[in-house]
This record gives sequence, C-alpha cells and structure tokens, in this order.
Amino acid sequence: MNTLSRFALAILATAWFTTAALAAGPSYRLEVAGLACPFCAYGIEKKLNAVKGVERLETNIKEGTVIVTMKDGVTLDKATAEQAVKDAGFTLNGFKQVSPGDSQ
Amino acid sequence: MTRHVLYKALGGIAASVAALLAVGWLVFVPSPKEPPYAFVAAWGGKGDGPGQFNDPTGIAIAGDEVFVADARNGRIQVFDLDGNFKRQFGRPGTGPGDLGRPMNITVAGGELYVAEYWNDRIQVFGLDGIHRRYVGRKGSRPGAFNAPGGIAVSPAGDLFVADFYNQRVQRLKADGSFVGQWGTTGETGIGAGSFNYPTDVAIGSDGTLYVADGYNDRVQAFAADGRFLRKWGGPFAVNVHGPFAGWFATVTALAVDAAGNVLAADFYNNRVQKFAPDGTFLTAFGGEGKGRLRHAMGVAAAADGAVFVTDFDNNRITKWRPSDDR
Repeated sequence: MNTLSRFALAILATAWFTTAALAAGPSYRLEVAGLACPFCAYGIEKKLNAVKGVERLETNIKEGTVIVTMKDGVTLDKATAEQAVKDAGFTLNGFKQVSPGDSQ
Repeated sequence: MTRHVLYKALGGIAASVAALLAVGWLVFVPSPKEPPYAFVAAWGGKGDGPGQFNDPTGIAIAGDEVFVADARNGRIQVFDLDGNFKRQFGRPGTGPGDLGRPMNITVAGGELYVAEYWNDRIQVFGLDGIHRRYVGRKGSRPGAFNAPGGIAVSPAGDLFVADFYNQRVQRLKADGSFVGQWGTTGETGIGAGSFNYPTDVAIGSDGTLYVADGYNDRVQAFAADGRFLRKWGGPFAVNVHGPFAGWFATVTALAVDAAGNVLAADFYNNRVQKFAPDGTFLTAFGGEGKGRLRHAMGVAAAADGAVFVTDFDNNRITKWRPSDDR
C-alpha cells in the first residue's frame, strides 16, 4: 500500500470515528451508592439499558458511577434515571449531564 | 458522697456493658473448628483473551475441569484443575449460545446450567459448550424469572433457581414447569422463608436446599419436602451484617463440598466461610495472607476437597486446599 492510499485511509477512518462520536447524544453521570457487588451493578445496568434511547453505559464500580450516553437527539431526564435506579433497588445520589469523555 | 455514688453507678454500667459484650461475643462469634484453607494457586488477570476475565462471577467443577462465568465478556471459560486454559464458549447477546451477564452456574447430569441475569433465563449447555435448551422466560409469573442469580439441580432432576428481583426461590421440573416457590414474589422480608435478594442456591446429598439470602446476610436451609429447617449469619440471622466469624456482608454464592459442608462466598468480607450442614461455623479463608481475595464472588468444591473461588475485583480464580491435606 503506497503512502497516498494510507493517507486516504487515515482520513476516512478519522472521519468515520468523528461522525460516530458526533452521532452520539448527550451523556449523564449517575451516582449510586453500593455498586460494588455485581448483582447490584448489573441490576442497574439492566434497568438503564431498558430505558428508551440509551446508547451505551459505562459503569465504574469503584467510584459508584454510571455514565449513560443517549442516542443522537435523545435526552435523559432525572425522573426516568431515578426510577430505573429505584427499580434496581437503589437510590440515585447524583445526576448531571457531562461532556463526552468526562466522567468526573 | 453523691459523687462517690455516681462513680459507683457509672462503674456498674461499664461493667455490665463489658459483660454483655463478652457474652455477646461468646454467643454470636463462634470459634473456628478447623484451620483455614491454604492458598494453592491463582490465575487470570483483566482482559478478554483466553484465560483473562472481565468480572468473573460463577464457578463450577465437572470432573477435572473448572467452568467460570466471565460475566462482562459474556462467555464461559474452561480450565483444568491447575488453571490451564482449555476452551471457551458464548458471547454477549440474547440468541442461542449467547450470554447476558452469566452469574452463578452449576454442573449436573453432564450439562452446564447458566443463570443469565440479563436474559432472564437458565441456559443449558453440553460440557462441550454446545447450546442445548433454555428454561424460563422474563417476568414474575410462576416459571418466569427477573434476573436469576443461581441454580441448583436435585438428584431427581428438579431445578431450584434463585430469582433475584422476584425475591423468591423457585422449584421447577426439568422442562421448566412450575412446582413451587419459597418467598413472596416481589416482597422482601427477614422472617424464616422470606428473602432479601436471593443470589444463589445449593443442594446437599440428602436433598437439603441451601439459599444464599444475599442482602439478608444469611443462609437459609430447607428440607427436601420444602420445610424451613434453619438459618444462620449474625445474631439471630435477621439481616445483621459484620466481619465476625459466622457473620456475612452479602452472600453471593454457595457450594456443598463432598463431605456435605456448606461453603459461602462472603462478598464484602473478602472471604469464603465454611459451615457444617447444621450451620455450625467451621472455618474461613481468603481474607488475609497469600491469595487474599478482593470481593469473593463465586465458590465451587472439587471432589478431592480443593475449593475454587472467583476473586471478583482481582479478575482471577484462586484455588485452595484444606490445611491438613498432604
């Protein structure tokens, strides 16, 4: 593969990843106490995954947080997040929208 | 004079409290009857390659093979008894052979039973990893599950399932038809026969059913005919958690060893506790020293007495032996 082809491929790959990143919707940081046990963590993930419009979840068991990323054009309201966490047997301690890649 | 009386009274109260604590300790913190198990080996590490794990949960033994539920990787990995990788099967998903957060597992009749927490079903595999059938479906009706956490199979072939969010243990025929249940669907409780998020079940050779009553921090035992027999874990086994001998901080898995003793994974206490069938505390291990566990999730006993534990936070499997083994 010559240099030009590699350059073109790199541009295409960058464009694809950028588009994919931009296509994702807003992200939210949920704080839930007592996530260390997998029964708890998977329970919350299961309930949140069932919420319409959820694209992906990133659970940090040690920090007791879940980052919920929504599909493009969809938002997550606090009441819905609260209900999902409650259905999993827990209490939502914190809820805020975060920038992509920001888990703090 | 008044001050003297006050000092005397305070001294009396302090002595009474100390006496009560001493009696409480003697009554509620049993001494071990056996030495702790000795650490033998560990294997794993975080990742998705062969022999690596991303949240190891359930574990089971079949002959000379160790089956491990690798939950976030959505697969089952198989090792020999020394931890050498042999094969793997499953991937995250919902189709036949796919796994959605596999939790506690068991081997019976030459088949592997996997409690799928996300897919609300029990999936049965051949030991070669070929999908054979499902049992159950999503829901709260008889025979349905809401996040099954563990399964046991009786010698007669009946299935016992810890139905986590339904707060019950169900007994089913091999084809999934409902036989009965313990606990009230969807309701937690601390009375005998009630549960607070049951996580796993195990069956003794006499048909006794042991239930890991997860957030009640106790084990409950039921006779083969369904009668409540006993419960243990902390004072009066009524949801009092703690780090002492015989107490729990979330029981996540159970196994019955070849001698009929009950092994319990004591998650937040980072240890496995061993009890006689009548609930007498025998020993504990894993909380300190070599092989120290960081959240004991699953436990399985081999025919030769070795015990295998899924060390959840360390993403590894640990192997232990009774200390007096030669």
